[in-house]
Amino acid sequence: MRPSARWTPYLLIAPALLMFTFVVLVPVLGTFGLSTFSWSGTNTAKFIGIDNFTRAAKDDVYLQSYRNTFIYIGFTLVLEVGVGLVLAGLVSMKGKRTAWYRAAFFVPVMLPMVVIAVLWGFIYSNDAGLLNAILDKIGLGGLSHVWLGDPATALPAVSVVSGWVYAGFYMAIFYAGLQRIPASLLEAAALDGASEWKIFTRIKIPLLRNMVEVAVLLCVTGAFQSFDLFYVLTNGGPDHSTEIVTTYLVQVVFRDHEVGYGAAMSVVLAVVVVGIGLIYARLRRKDGADLEY
Amino acid sequence: MTVRRHFRVLAIAGAITLSLGLSACNSSKNDTQAGGPVTIRIAMGSSGADVDKTFTTLKTQYEAKYPGRKVEVIIQEDDTYETIGLSNLLSSRNAPDAYFEWSGTRMYTKVDEGYAADVAEVLNGPQFAGRFNPGAFKGMTRDGKTYMVPWTGDVTDVVWYNKKIFADNAITVPTTWDEFMAVNQKLKDAGITPIVEGNKDKWPVGNWGSQLVSRVIGEQQYEDMMLRKAPMNSPGVVQALTHLKGLADNGYINASVNALPDDQAMSQFLLGKAAMTAIGSWLVADQVSQAKDLQVGYFNTPSVPGSGDQQSVLGVSTGFMVNAKSAHIPETVDFLALMSASDNTKLFVKAGVAPLTVDPFAGVAADPNTVSLAKLLESSPVVVKPADNIDVKVAGEFYDAVAAVIGGLKSPQEALDRAQTRVDALPKA
Repeated sequence: MRPSARWTPYLLIAPALLMFTFVVLVPVLGTFGLSTFSWSGTNTAKFIGIDNFTRAAKDDVYLQSYRNTFIYIGFTLVLEVGVGLVLAGLVSMKGKRTAWYRAAFFVPVMLPMVVIAVLWGFIYSNDAGLLNAILDKIGLGGLSHVWLGDPATALPAVSVVSGWVYAGFYMAIFYAGLQRIPASLLEAAALDGASEWKIFTRIKIPLLRNMVEVAVLLCVTGAFQSFDLFYVLTNGGPDHSTEIVTTYLVQVVFRDHEVGYGAAMSVVLAVVVVGIGLIYARLRRKDGADLEY
Repeated sequence: MTVRRHFRVLAIAGAITLSLGLSACNSSKNDTQAGGPVTIRIAMGSSGADVDKTFTTLKTQYEAKYPGRKVEVIIQEDDTYETIGLSNLLSSRNAPDAYFEWSGTRMYTKVDEGYAADVAEVLNGPQFAGRFNPGAFKGMTRDGKTYMVPWTGDVTDVVWYNKKIFADNAITVPTTWDEFMAVNQKLKDAGITPIVEGNKDKWPVGNWGSQLVSRVIGEQQYEDMMLRKAPMNSPGVVQALTHLKGLADNGYINASVNALPDDQAMSQFLLGKAAMTAIGSWLVADQVSQAKDLQVGYFNTPSVPGSGDQQSVLGVSTGFMVNAKSAHIPETVDFLALMSASDNTKLFVKAGVAPLTVDPFAGVAADPNTVSLAKLLESSPVVVKPADNIDVKVAGEFYDAVAAVIGGLKSPQEALDRAQTRVDALPKA
């Protein structure tokens, strides 16, 4: 059916176009513009060219925040994607209680991150924390630690919480993928004498490859978006050992009132994330693999 | 031709959508502009449950006294308010008509940004007549204008102690740092955690560090350091932080110092899990609501060798600023006048804070610590401003250094060298 007037299609896309313009395009351009100014958010803005960017390049806390983010990504790839994959394998095995386990592993995903952070703050607490109390109870009191107060353990401790939350999320994705594998294929492998482990590693995981790749991309980009967990648990401390880009950004903009500098940091962050995405997509193309989902 | 027509069509479509959006915005304008009740918004950080409740009482009083007016009290968690909360509120469409602020640098910033109305005239008028001594306005004026209605005086850092623990261990209040270290050792030997601090947000021990620095190098040198006129890694500052390092090295302070939030540290102290905690006068408000029967006392930071005044007090006054952009300034002033009225300041006293009005404690059973702290602030020969009340960015670097020292992560010299390097990299103020 042809539209009654030539301009009807334009009229129909106008709201979406305007929404995109105001919600995405204008803020992106505005942030880029702001990054060239010295501005507290309320005073008169002063144009300073690329000074904010050169400052960011020398800001050791900002650079450390990237190092921390990449370490965090390393941890979460194992604790979220890796553990999620293993959990998916376990809950897809035939058993009476697998549905219950699926629900149990997924529950943390549904909880607000701030609630989770407060909860784990008590678990990690040095003074009345569950973790140290358990270690004491089982005779491992020597391992008791100020988990969030030591730069050596703070970032792994936060990563464990992240893993606890999102492993269930990735489990759900992988579980859905596992359900799509033809049963005949698995039966054939079983008839050929393949063990459950061999079926999982040689058949299921290769067939889940596209999903794993998507999960890795989600995990990497998600790490750059993390904020609430770090803010509540450590607020970037101790000694910036859990400072990630977003927590430092909030400090710069809201504590120091340096909106221009914060905008420059945001622009760099956006370039890094887009850059990683493009490199990742290019690597995947080289492998000749296409995303199915 | 076709392109031009396409643009025209797009322009029409855009105009329609925009007008729909604007009409939606118009419909959300508040009742005031439609001739409805006037609603004023008052914003602050939480100062304890009892203080927060007092503002609810004031709201009820105000709405009864002025029919047709409403008050919306916005209370945020104190750290959130100080960092993100107030800025967001002020830049929002429904900005508060009056808001809590600290005097000094933070207040000056709000003046520069255009969020401060000059209230000198109303403060001299009948509503506030005789309510404040001239000294209450210290740090609240600029260029002959007054930008704050004074509220409370906060001693920002004293050492609170559990009287029972001190008595049980025959400990007397120390007056010098050496005596203080001996007290800590005695408590540690008795199996008691001497000091609990919650330095997750860095300012609590940072404040203590500020006071020690001002005691060692002198108040002027301290202020110069925060204004980037003097180095942060000078021998005097290193010496000051070495005192704090002694607390960490000897195990006198909780190992979780840099992981614990300040409110949880206060709770631990109020639960009797440590003998001392160094924090400001607002502990009283928490004690009143959480541990009324606990006997606590305080002492000012013990004297250390140095050129500063050893009786100095780290403190700051607070007040409420009227938003210059408010459409209801007279109504807002009415609320602040009610807040400053004699009977109502007594409500604040009962809640555990020390109002800056002339007679806050007269005829009211005030907490003795509140009264004593108010006198300490009033009688102190020198009141030193907290670092973040001078320059928030320099203070941030200084607090980082203090946190690294108290956490045993760096030596004072290393921590301060790093802080100085970062201060040098900051853009000029």
